[in-house]
Amino acid sequence: MQTEALSEVQVESTVARKPAIWETLTSEKYFKWTLLIPLLIVLAIFMVYPLLYCAYYSFHQWGMRGEAIYIGAQNYRQLLNDKAFLEALYRTLKVLVICVSCELLIGLGLALLWSREFPGENIVRGLALLPLLVAPLILSLLWNFMFEFDFGAVNLVLQALGLNKVYWWSPERALYTICFITIWQWFPFSTFVLVAGLRSLPRDVFEAAKVDGASPWYTFRRLTLPMLSPLIMIIVVLRTMWLIRLFDPLYGTTRGGVQTELLDWIVYRTAFVYFDIGYGSTMAIFSLVLTIAVCAVMFKILMRALEGAR
Amino acid sequence: MRYRGIVIGSLVVVLLLVCSFAVLAQEKFGLKDIPEIKNKKPINMIVETGAAWDKVIEYIKQFETATGVKVNIERVASPVVYSKENVELMAGTGYYDVVYVETSWTCEWSDYLWDLEELAAQYDPKGVEGFREDIHNISPVLLRCGQAYGKQMVLPFYTYHMGMFIREDVYNDPTEQAAFKAKYGYDLKPPTTYKELYDQAEFFTRKKGDLLKGKTLDHDLYGVAMMAGAYQINDEITSWIWGMGGDYATVVKNPDGTIKEFVITKKDKDILKQALTQYKALLKFAPAGCLTANFDFACAQQGEGFAIIQPHQFASLFTWTADLLKQKVPDGRLGIYPTVGGQPYTGAWSLGVAKATKNPEAAYWLVRYIASYDCQKVLMKEGGQFSARMDLLLDPEFHSPEVEYPLGIVCSYLVDIWQKQAPYVDNYWYFNTRAGGKVYEMQMNVLHKPMAEEVTIDECVEELVAKTIELTSKFDTVPIREE
Repeated sequence: MQTEALSEVQVESTVARKPAIWETLTSEKYFKWTLLIPLLIVLAIFMVYPLLYCAYYSFHQWGMRGEAIYIGAQNYRQLLNDKAFLEALYRTLKVLVICVSCELLIGLGLALLWSREFPGENIVRGLALLPLLVAPLILSLLWNFMFEFDFGAVNLVLQALGLNKVYWWSPERALYTICFITIWQWFPFSTFVLVAGLRSLPRDVFEAAKVDGASPWYTFRRLTLPMLSPLIMIIVVLRTMWLIRLFDPLYGTTRGGVQTELLDWIVYRTAFVYFDIGYGSTMAIFSLVLTIAVCAVMFKILMRALEGAR
Repeated sequence: MRYRGIVIGSLVVVLLLVCSFAVLAQEKFGLKDIPEIKNKKPINMIVETGAAWDKVIEYIKQFETATGVKVNIERVASPVVYSKENVELMAGTGYYDVVYVETSWTCEWSDYLWDLEELAAQYDPKGVEGFREDIHNISPVLLRCGQAYGKQMVLPFYTYHMGMFIREDVYNDPTEQAAFKAKYGYDLKPPTTYKELYDQAEFFTRKKGDLLKGKTLDHDLYGVAMMAGAYQINDEITSWIWGMGGDYATVVKNPDGTIKEFVITKKDKDILKQALTQYKALLKFAPAGCLTANFDFACAQQGEGFAIIQPHQFASLFTWTADLLKQKVPDGRLGIYPTVGGQPYTGAWSLGVAKATKNPEAAYWLVRYIASYDCQKVLMKEGGQFSARMDLLLDPEFHSPEVEYPLGIVCSYLVDIWQKQAPYVDNYWYFNTRAGGKVYEMQMNVLHKPMAEEVTIDECVEELVAKTIELTSKFDTVPIREE
């Protein structure tokens, strides 16, 4: 009797017992939130709050001293008439087009070469990765010395070859020199992404094309390129996001001089040199919106490419 | 005879006593003079990266041992110092107890720094007088740069006062002297006017294969080396306009000495325009790399024997340039002179105490210690920087025949130029405005533009005036207007 009574109590208590917190958190219903919430908290603190803070100050005049003064859309109006800002924007777009195109072309060319097996391939690939491993600021300082007119290694080599010295940092060339440094550092990224893509392509399709007598150019145009297009789009999207924020190559070289001031540099100068937080925030918001817009378009194209690839 | 011995003995004793008193009277403030610090909370400070501080940091450890106060040191590159400190000061966090200050930021940060005399009154057993007695050895120019509205906010520890570096061996060469006189009709001597500077820059600009001091050149030679990059061009232009009696804005004072307003006068604008025009004209005698150059490039050009004159350069770089020249051109010798107009850009890295500090007592004594004779000597002897203290620059140790060139002559130059320039410093706009730091940074960018053909000189002046007014209106309470 006693045993039976006890077991009834036990059964009742089991039925009535609330699940432990850990059980709730790991239950099927809540587990996804358990995993997501820490990330969302971090994002809210480090991304959403600064973004809202930035958006708030873009409507104010504030230099970190005293109260911020609400000025409506005046900062935005000023931005649209700011010659220096518009020039920086134009230059950024120019750098974006030049760098993305060159990196893709070089990357694709090298990927086609390196996707085959050849003696010493690991050494070559390892060396090609080096530019990516060096801090961009250090790299820009090094290139600054290498491109120096009188002492720079590049001009010394040109002279040794009997050629004239080139003024790499002249106002006409400086922006292209910045592009060169950026391309030099980042071409391995597109190369290795595309090498991985090429190696994962199904061999049977290419073999069939070969049997059908398709020329290498036709195979490349009709098979390789369409199959690689999702990866190409990923490279374009990522590089676009990074290039809109290009900063380090300027810091170690021209510091925004000789007509090389880019979007991120002017934002930095305004917000963290003049500490004109209001106007700097406006520029930052504009830069963010631009990045989102460009990337949204790219993303749409990427999705279409993925659909096509399927 | 017996009395003669006693008299002589007494005289010797008296003499020894007098000497001892004299030595004691001359004894400088040092670590031993710091009283017991009651507040033991650790203090934080930021310092530049570089060899100078590598040495001083070892001496800061002695401060820690003597006082029992831990000093946490954060080291950053000099271009980052301002932004890092500015945020903490404005937010009043008190994170940095000792603040690293470029003298043109003194007024701007004056609301966030302690008046050092107030701290002296509170913590120094000798009071304000003891403080003043020690700092009167510091350059009057640099002390004034470290003041805001009459209050001593910071103490300078090393200077970057500018000067003009010339190749003295070339100037003293009879062949060059004769050729110059024949061409320009006057003697070759360090330039004191713009015309002389232009003539000499033109005269010394030569091609590979031409002669210099009767020897064939194996490289192109440039008359001048300048820093026209978007980083230090404003220091050069400042020297130029101060030398012409102008400024970025004129400080108008009330009869009681307080500042009434800033006016960008027509004269200021004309002088700026003229200075920019002359500077740009001179660039054709400078290496092409000058358009992106900082101090290191310009000094390297002269040190390598590629340039004859650096019209404006930080005096602290003289010894480095001279040493480099000695390696590359064994018979080469540099000289240092005032820049054209005799009012070179001035300033110093300095230290102050943050108002929000949690330990003003220890922070004050650390600032005093680093500005002391002993610590400054370390900075100069081992760190290779030039002290802000005149008593140190005149120390016979730095003027012995072995070190007179290049070290001693820079010391003498600095003491001399400080005395000559002292009457003018009070009216320099940089050291009277709270917008100095912001305007200084803006100038780097704007003044560089006409040199890079991005804008015309007229457009540059227009932009500079507009931005100076905009930034000053935002960051200073003193009204500013354009005449």
